[in-house]
Amino acid sequence: MVQFLLKRLIGLIFVLMCVTFITFIMGYLAPGDPIRSMMGQHFDEKLYLQLKHLYGLDLPWYQQYFNFLVHLLHFDFGYSYKQQQMSVMSIIATNLPVTLELGLWALVLQFLIGVPLGILSAIKANTWVDTANMGTALILYSIPGFVLAVFVRFAIAQIDQATGAGWPPTGWGNPWQYTWPDIQVKLAPILVFAIGGAGYIARLARTSMLEILRQDYIRTARAKGLRERIVIYRHALRNALIPLITTFGYSLGFVVTGAFFIETIFNIPGLGSVTMTSVSGRDYPVIQATVVLLTIAIVLGNLLSDILYMIIDPRIKAE
Amino acid sequence: MSIHDKNTQTNDFEEVPPITQFPSPDNRISEIPLQVPSQHSKPDQQKSQTPFQQSMRRLLRDKRAVISLSIILFFILLTIVGPPIYQHIGTPYTNDAGQQVGPEVYHNPFRHDLDFEDQPISARYWLGTDSVGADLLARLMQSLLISISVATAVEVIDILFGVAIGVLAGYYGGWIDQVLARITDVMFAFPGLLFAILLTGIFGPASDQFLDTLPVIGQYGNARLIIVSMAFALTSWPMMARYVRGQTLQIKANQFIEAARTVSSSDFKIITRHIVPNLFSIVIVASTLNIAGTIIGEAAISLLGLGVQDPGSSLGLMIAERAEAIETSHPWEVLLPCIVLAMIVLAFSFLGDGLRDAFDPRSKD
Repeated sequence: MVQFLLKRLIGLIFVLMCVTFITFIMGYLAPGDPIRSMMGQHFDEKLYLQLKHLYGLDLPWYQQYFNFLVHLLHFDFGYSYKQQQMSVMSIIATNLPVTLELGLWALVLQFLIGVPLGILSAIKANTWVDTANMGTALILYSIPGFVLAVFVRFAIAQIDQATGAGWPPTGWGNPWQYTWPDIQVKLAPILVFAIGGAGYIARLARTSMLEILRQDYIRTARAKGLRERIVIYRHALRNALIPLITTFGYSLGFVVTGAFFIETIFNIPGLGSVTMTSVSGRDYPVIQATVVLLTIAIVLGNLLSDILYMIIDPRIKAE
Repeated sequence: MSIHDKNTQTNDFEEVPPITQFPSPDNRISEIPLQVPSQHSKPDQQKSQTPFQQSMRRLLRDKRAVISLSIILFFILLTIVGPPIYQHIGTPYTNDAGQQVGPEVYHNPFRHDLDFEDQPISARYWLGTDSVGADLLARLMQSLLISISVATAVEVIDILFGVAIGVLAGYYGGWIDQVLARITDVMFAFPGLLFAILLTGIFGPASDQFLDTLPVIGQYGNARLIIVSMAFALTSWPMMARYVRGQTLQIKANQFIEAARTVSSSDFKIITRHIVPNLFSIVIVASTLNIAGTIIGEAAISLLGLGVQDPGSSLGLMIAERAEAIETSHPWEVLLPCIVLAMIVLAFSFLGDGLRDAFDPRSKD
């Protein structure tokens, strides 16, 4: 197991090196001189060189990359080109919790919704319950989240107009606080986000459960005369959940990326909005930081999946 | 495409078990007569069908796939012949300045007319106008053209690179295989959307300046689409290569490859005549599903303001521009592009699903 983990870690470092290099070299090759555009009309040769030195842009590229990596290890992405007193990390730190909150709730909910539906489908395989269930799941999974978000915003606006409930259309409440107004504003984005993922989880759960129900030990359990409920919940369900738990890690990364688009539609001040403002302001360090952070989230999620798999399924260790 | 090659009999999933189950050379001889009765086991079947024909029959029986295919064909037709026809339908009117304005002007997707904002559906504007007075139907057709062009460009590169490198990795193994494995590892951690955000975020402003002099593809704020397509193509081919590699390994284990070797066919001939034609099904399924992803991706990038720029049209841009209209009296302006995007994405997903079931019936749960 230690050997496997070591192998995975080496692979992980390789992947991170590649991604950071791609991210760095693109910022390095980016057209235009950020310092020059930062100074604008007040161009001054001495100050220009000073600033260039401050941002480390006067070094050759390999030294810049090395510095980039060293700073990365300290979670330091340098200073923003636009908001000059702010470090990139402090800009991201104000918005990251919002994205994390949205993503984590969506992640939890998509399992809570998806798994029971998938299991139900598998138990009632090839009946109308299954067909309707899986049809809906495929549609929800295929339609992009931001389109669902628009439909939901439309529905909320219509209901709100009809009832005059004063439901807040967009925005985000206080992070990690759940008073009624907070819940009102957070409910729709989280649900929209969760539902798309739930479709995928439901399909996976169905496949996994069907696979288990075909096994010999399920037939044995039935032959023993066990009640169907015990066969399903005690013998089949537990084993069917194994591949699902491992997708938890994989979903982690996609949840964070997907949040960008939900945030855009619901005007939520998360990582997505930071990226958008930094893109329009050509604030490369902020873009690089978001990309690297998201990649780290994905890579760690994949590692988490592998570890979970080994803990849950002892057969893996034997190999 | 020599899909009717006799060798493709191994793709006949219904009757013939996968040949890889007969590894010992002794069994192969006894295996051959098995195929003959299986061909004639259906008395109602007069003519023998190639596996490809059988797959197509299965596909045409799948109602969902057929409906999806017709929706896709309709959309493609609409983007090609729709705009020229639409720009000839309608009567000219005289505007406040006393000029004659014909349909070729007011049915142009790039025209803004602030005198006709937020028009409802009418004989002049078939689907109404948006907040800057551009015709919605014209913009939708232009957006669909963008979606389909980007998807086509990405798929061409995806298939070319994916098949070439996947076949080489699967056939020869060795260092190509190693490099491919490493690249796919990186791509798993670096999704296409993030890569596209990074690329367009950094090179977008410059491409607006330099690429918009290009005829057709660079005009009307579409210059960044070249970067967007590149980003999606670069991130999608490793997945295709991985599928192709897996399939190549399976084909390589078949006895007809060995037979070709015995008659001293060159590697080149084995690859082009015997392996590539047998990759058809996996490539078509993977690329159909990838098209759905690319169309979402392009819309998403434009939604973030990184793709198509004003005055161009993209489904994502149209949604982003008018997301606020959802609470006003013109929700139609944002619901329309949403519905069209959902339709085209669902059509490609369902078609991909249908194709997979048609080519490989065993894959059904």
